[in-house]
Amino acid sequence: MRKLNAYIRRKLSVRVSLWVVFFAAIIFNVALGFLFYQAREAVRQEAINRAMQTLDKTSLRVEGILNRVEVASNMTKWLVERHPDKADSMFVYSRGILLNNPDFYNCSIAFEPYHFENKGRYFSAYTKYDGDSIRTIQGGSDLYQYFFADWYLMPQLLGKPSWTEPYMDLDVASNTSEMVTSYCQGIVDEHGQMIGAINVSLSLNWLSHTISAVKPYPNSYSIMIGRGGTYFVHPDSTRITRQTIFTQTLEQPDTAMTALGRAMTHGQEGVRRMDLGGEACYVFYKPLGQTGCSMAIVCPESDIFSGFDRLRRTIMAIVLGGLLIMLYAFIRIITRELKPLRRLAYEAEAIASGQFDTPLPDFQRVDEIGQLSHSFGNMQQSLVKYIEELKDTTAQKTVIERDLLVASRIQMGMLPEKFPSRDDRDDVQLFASLTPAKEVGGDLFDFYFRDEKLFFCIGDVSGKGVPASLFMAVTRSIFRTVSAHESMPDRIMTLMNKTIADMNKTHMFVTLFVGVLDLPTGRLHYCNAGHDAPLLVGAGVGELPCDANIPVGFMPSWQYTLQETHIFTGTTIFLFTDGLTEAMDADNAQFQMERVTDVATEALANGQQEPHQLINRMTEAVHQFVGDAEQSDDLTMMAIQYIKQQSTEQILKRIVLPTDLQEVPRLNAFVEEVCHDVGFSHDDTMQVKVAVEEAVVNVMKYAYPAGQRHDVTIEAACNTLRLKFTIIDSGRPFDPTVQTVADTTLPAKERNIGGLGIHIMRQNMDSINYERLGNLNVLTVRKKIHN
Amino acid sequence: MCRLLLCATFFILHSSFFIPLRAQRDTIVFTPQWTAQAQFAGYYVAEAKGFYRQAGVKVRIEHPSATQPAMSRLRSGECQATTLQLCQALEVVDGGTSLVNILQTSMNNAMVIVSARDKDPLTQKGERVGIWSVGFGQLAICMSIKDHLDYKWVRFAQNVNLFVTGALDATLAMSYNEYYQLVQAGIRMTDKNVYRFCDHGYNVQEDGIYMTRDYYDSHKEQAQRFALASRKGWEWAAAHPQEALDIVMEYVDKNHIATNRVMQRLMLEEVLRLQVDRESHRREFRLRPDMVQLASRLMAEHKMLNREVKYEELKE
Repeated sequence: MRKLNAYIRRKLSVRVSLWVVFFAAIIFNVALGFLFYQAREAVRQEAINRAMQTLDKTSLRVEGILNRVEVASNMTKWLVERHPDKADSMFVYSRGILLNNPDFYNCSIAFEPYHFENKGRYFSAYTKYDGDSIRTIQGGSDLYQYFFADWYLMPQLLGKPSWTEPYMDLDVASNTSEMVTSYCQGIVDEHGQMIGAINVSLSLNWLSHTISAVKPYPNSYSIMIGRGGTYFVHPDSTRITRQTIFTQTLEQPDTAMTALGRAMTHGQEGVRRMDLGGEACYVFYKPLGQTGCSMAIVCPESDIFSGFDRLRRTIMAIVLGGLLIMLYAFIRIITRELKPLRRLAYEAEAIASGQFDTPLPDFQRVDEIGQLSHSFGNMQQSLVKYIEELKDTTAQKTVIERDLLVASRIQMGMLPEKFPSRDDRDDVQLFASLTPAKEVGGDLFDFYFRDEKLFFCIGDVSGKGVPASLFMAVTRSIFRTVSAHESMPDRIMTLMNKTIADMNKTHMFVTLFVGVLDLPTGRLHYCNAGHDAPLLVGAGVGELPCDANIPVGFMPSWQYTLQETHIFTGTTIFLFTDGLTEAMDADNAQFQMERVTDVATEALANGQQEPHQLINRMTEAVHQFVGDAEQSDDLTMMAIQYIKQQSTEQILKRIVLPTDLQEVPRLNAFVEEVCHDVGFSHDDTMQVKVAVEEAVVNVMKYAYPAGQRHDVTIEAACNTLRLKFTIIDSGRPFDPTVQTVADTTLPAKERNIGGLGIHIMRQNMDSINYERLGNLNVLTVRKKIHN
Repeated sequence: MCRLLLCATFFILHSSFFIPLRAQRDTIVFTPQWTAQAQFAGYYVAEAKGFYRQAGVKVRIEHPSATQPAMSRLRSGECQATTLQLCQALEVVDGGTSLVNILQTSMNNAMVIVSARDKDPLTQKGERVGIWSVGFGQLAICMSIKDHLDYKWVRFAQNVNLFVTGALDATLAMSYNEYYQLVQAGIRMTDKNVYRFCDHGYNVQEDGIYMTRDYYDSHKEQAQRFALASRKGWEWAAAHPQEALDIVMEYVDKNHIATNRVMQRLMLEEVLRLQVDRESHRREFRLRPDMVQLASRLMAEHKMLNREVKYEELKE
């Protein structure tokens, strides 16, 4: 079977042929089924008509004879009732009936006990044929008390003439018996009282012969039953008078037979289809006149439909044979028609193996196969052409891929690679990762230290791939350039936005978060341009509140707002792009902010809030969530942990000087005194003096409009590590730290104006820091205490 | 010594063979009261299986004919034993013919009233009820009077045709015979339309084998052997109902009786059931004095007997 299936699957011709023959068979079946059904119904109806006609005819014949009996009985009754007292006349009447009707079996004119004075208890004028002669005798005796017989009692009990159930009539004289049925009617006197009964009997022999002879089909037969269902005619002679139509049902319940029996014994007429002796038969039944008997013709279905079945078998055989021939012919024809295709398949295999110049056969056909061959030829030519083009394209793609790889390396190279750890710094540690979705991406992050400030940013350029990567490179460069001259994130962001928006021909944009962390104090200034708000992982986990600013690149005039917060020691600022929250698994479900918060919370609970640990844990969580799904967006994370341990500063001295250059000697004396107090060497004291003087003189000279006199406060403080001088003034905002440092390697004539003072300060001090607090300029310079 | 041995041998042979030979001198002609059917299965079995022969009694079963009913054959001496229902026997004894019950087979009453049109017979006051013209209906007549039903009795010859044709409102039937004839005629039997006398205080035994007392007195031993062999026949029939039915059908066919095997099987089962006493649950094969007394009193009360016939009058 498996081989046959494999063969059919392999052979299109066989498959198509089978389908065609299958559908043809369905159509034939439906059409023939309908035809057979109609034909069968017609045959059935014909059989019913035929059988019912036969039944009617038989019934009419029987009724004809029965009518004669009834007429003869009626005439005799009339005579008897006119002379009820003449006993001897009864013999004449009785004899007369049989003389006039030689086919009658017998006749009795019987009277009630002692009806005739001289005749005793019994008087019955009984006449019967005895061979060719007629015998008339007086019937009735103690052994035959006729008034208990059915024929005597029935007209009395029913109040009308009636036919008795067939019974065995015993002729005592000849000791013979005969199955008869009797027509009996009562004799009444002038008062209407019953005084006797007339009984005219018919032998059932002729009836049996008549009914048995009814045989409309070769194997059909007829039955006759009485009121009680007793068989009086049946092909199985052992059943006659011995069984009723219900007898078999007592042992084997047969509802169909029982129903038939009841219908027949109730004098109904009809047709039934039922199983008799394991064979389906039609039974046609009808009552026989007023006798109470019922006749049925049993016709085996096989007989009725034998001609029809023969015709059906022949047609089915022809159809089956035709379908097989059709199948064979179709297979042969389709195989022949598909031969060129097979050859084409061989040639195609050769082409598929790389022999593109294999010559194709020319079938010289205009049909579908010819078209296919022609198309195949075209395809071969196109294939050769496309293969050549594919080679070029592949080569170009290789170049592009190589370029992209280089671009990726360049892009990655633009990002900081070295991250400060606890080993490197005591104030902050930082870690970041960027995983582009494609070779190059549009995410960016950056950070650098200037003086005692950490400048950092994280951003996400709209779009992906090369355009986004170029935009990202530009953004990062502008961030570096702008932040070199600005310390406040809002300014940095505003300037970046103006620069980018002015040159943004491609209408791209970037969401950006810029922050400046003042490392000595932990004060964070930040500005968010439409980027995801960072998380603060410290005492708890929470989002850093961010103002609603538009992304960078849309409106050059947009003024970004500055926000400020204090970062406590140990707190980690976790920044990320939407590649984290929108990372998708195979079912396109997103990682979402809730999971980011959960992972961060979990990390905090496990004491893993250090940048490297936090990013690794987050990366692991994302990978686990995404599974085997392809990365849909660039993923960038940056974590900054503020770790500076604040030591207690001791304010040593404080001096307030007017903004008058004449006060410089006081300043120097103040500085010297402080340096002496903390034990600075002479050289260190000199360096501090120069730096502080430079800063204070700048204030005295430039902080206020010329001619105005204000104060400048110099405060000296120290802790165990550093000496700090804080110069405070309320002049115009001025950040010396963003001034371009003078290139001291150039000759004095080639240097730009300014920048030398900050240079001196940076040279002499360990750190320099500027803050604008309210309307105050606060400049802080620090120098380490060496011992 | 030899003479003594010869005498002893002769005595033994005489005692074992002489009595049967003597008994077989007179054949008992046994006439059941009806045509061949399973009602008499035990006797056919006893004859067919040789139980009578083994008992040393010669029995010939001759069924009654239309011209020679069983009782007239007994009276005329054409048969020496017949089966009678207890009520019939009481009538005969009351009529002056002394009878002896040599074997009682029936322990229960089989008579029922079957009503037409699914009516309760007890509601058919004054309606026409068929009754056998040859007797058997004594208890029904008593019941009709006693329960004030005043049935109008219609005596019929033998079959159920009158009832089937609708000429009767109800008919008496034996649960083993006419009852099944009616079932075979398609009459539906329900708990409602069948009245069983045995369930209403009329459980009087029926069939038993009777002989005239004169004959019995002169052939006592032969009669007893006949009774014992008949009993054995019934016990065998109860133990082998299928084989017994085969034997019954042989008699049925031989006598050209218009019946069938199904009918006879049902009849045999019912007759065997009726032979089991309700109280002892055994086949007792004995006439119960209480039932004789019940039947006798009922019939006497309703003027069917001139006097109460005593149990002792029917026994040996």
